[in-house]
Amino acid sequence: MGYISEGFLRAFELLVSLEAETCSAIITTISVSSMSMAASLVIGIPTGFALGYFTFPAKRQVRAVVDTLLALPTVVVGLIVYAFISNRGPYGNLELLYTQPGIAIAQTLLVVPIVISLTATAVEGLDRRLKPTLHALGARGAQIALTSLMEARYAVLIAAITAYGRAISEVGVSMIIGGNIKWHTRTITTAIALETGKGEFGMAIALGIVLLLLAFLVNGSLAVLRKRS
Amino acid sequence: MSSKPPLYQVTGLVFRYGERFELNIPDFSIEPGSAVGLIGPNGGGKTTLLRILAFIERPQSGEILFDGERTSVEDASVSRSVSMLLQEPYLLKRSVFENVAYGLKVRGKRKRLEQEVEEALGTVGLDSQDFSRRPWYELSGGEAQRVALAARLILRPRVLILDEPTASVDEKSALLIKDAVIESRRKDGTTLIIASHDHVWLNSITSDIRRVYRGRVLGTAVHNVIIGPWAEIGEGLCRATLPDGQPVTATCPPLPGMHGMVDPTDIVISLDRPAMMSAHNTIQATVMSLEMNGDTGIVNVSLDTGGFRVLARVTRHTAREMNLLPGEKVWAVFKASSIKWE
Repeated sequence: MGYISEGFLRAFELLVSLEAETCSAIITTISVSSMSMAASLVIGIPTGFALGYFTFPAKRQVRAVVDTLLALPTVVVGLIVYAFISNRGPYGNLELLYTQPGIAIAQTLLVVPIVISLTATAVEGLDRRLKPTLHALGARGAQIALTSLMEARYAVLIAAITAYGRAISEVGVSMIIGGNIKWHTRTITTAIALETGKGEFGMAIALGIVLLLLAFLVNGSLAVLRKRS
Repeated sequence: MSSKPPLYQVTGLVFRYGERFELNIPDFSIEPGSAVGLIGPNGGGKTTLLRILAFIERPQSGEILFDGERTSVEDASVSRSVSMLLQEPYLLKRSVFENVAYGLKVRGKRKRLEQEVEEALGTVGLDSQDFSRRPWYELSGGEAQRVALAARLILRPRVLILDEPTASVDEKSALLIKDAVIESRRKDGTTLIIASHDHVWLNSITSDIRRVYRGRVLGTAVHNVIIGPWAEIGEGLCRATLPDGQPVTATCPPLPGMHGMVDPTDIVISLDRPAMMSAHNTIQATVMSLEMNGDTGIVNVSLDTGGFRVLARVTRHTAREMNLLPGEKVWAVFKASSIKWE
């Protein structure tokens, strides 16, 4: 049991001293997941809104596909993206493999179904009185659509935060696409996997604590938003 | 000679909800600047009719002329002249100010916005200083209803449609809502169309009350509707039975399935059971309430006969002379020939 308490002590030292390697993994994680979040929100919110707001043929089937993609395994996403961006793949010339943008692209594919699905659910769940109310107040077409999205804003934020939680905690994509390169593509999760394998519990625990803090922050924000929505 | 067309002229309107419900109105009109009340049981079609008149719903068939012109849900210029307050109003997840200002903003009218909002809130008895910045969730039911009404009044619509505006508000809010809509009609000439179960409240706004029952608009005034079934008893007379078992006799309807209508002014109230009268119908009832019919000098007397409400009208002088009071047992008398058919 001694090595666990020693690990916690070492973790405390690393965090208090802002040790460079630990900080690098944290910054890489936040940087990569922020990139993927930005992209997935740009793609996911309009797509999710359209899926929830409009009625069109095969809407149910599209919804079923999106909902299935929620359970997409991270290693499968990593594998697919690897196939496309490796030197032998069709986008090999873009040299995205083992880069932070490469990880961000794969993470975007991983979390965009979450944003689409939760946004669509939020829009579908809007109060049935909203549309006639907006109509009665004189809003038309795009004004009704935009106001409807604004009414769903807290639920859309919940979608974004849930997606962020998934992005920062995934390991498969970061490992396969990023290659876990120190100072470059090593994220919190890949570092924990590596350091645990090496028996360096101090750093693994330190990074685990940071990851847990981030998760608490995400869940805390979710709780506040759920109350408001 | 050209006469001004009605504001609404509805012809051959049919609206169906699946197999179960059908609104069927062959002919219906509303004059500009008038106040029309709609009464009737739940599920009778009041809300559907209001939504059609507000251009929120589109009927399956029929024609609606607005100001003499054919119009539809898509016609924004016309439908923006009409604003409807739903039975359970929805407030946007924004401040009171943003809720009230929304309609003007979507019309691109942003001048004097603060002043307009302040005035609209004042009309419904809400202090702008106190309420303007409040979020939607910090309002009571009555306050929310009044904020929603202010959001419509600020638009100065040509037609204001209210669906059960007092259904879930306290007495004070009901009074303020009444004052606000009467003021809107007086000041801006707004046409009011109001559905309500609160007959006293509705009567204090208008005496033009129409009954909506099973998808039909019955009568153009406050009539007592005797649904039937009507069974022939000979000599051209038919009989129906009220819920408490008392019979009502009428000259038979021209077509089967028609409803009997008794004008409240055709009902005579007697404190003693009248004997040897030419009138066929003598119904025992209990006085439930008395209310003034605006300032017409007429008193609306609501009677109950085993759960069936009968409305009679007497002069204020008669009500005073007879010393009519709620709870009193009386006799309602009317002729078989006074029952009209729709």
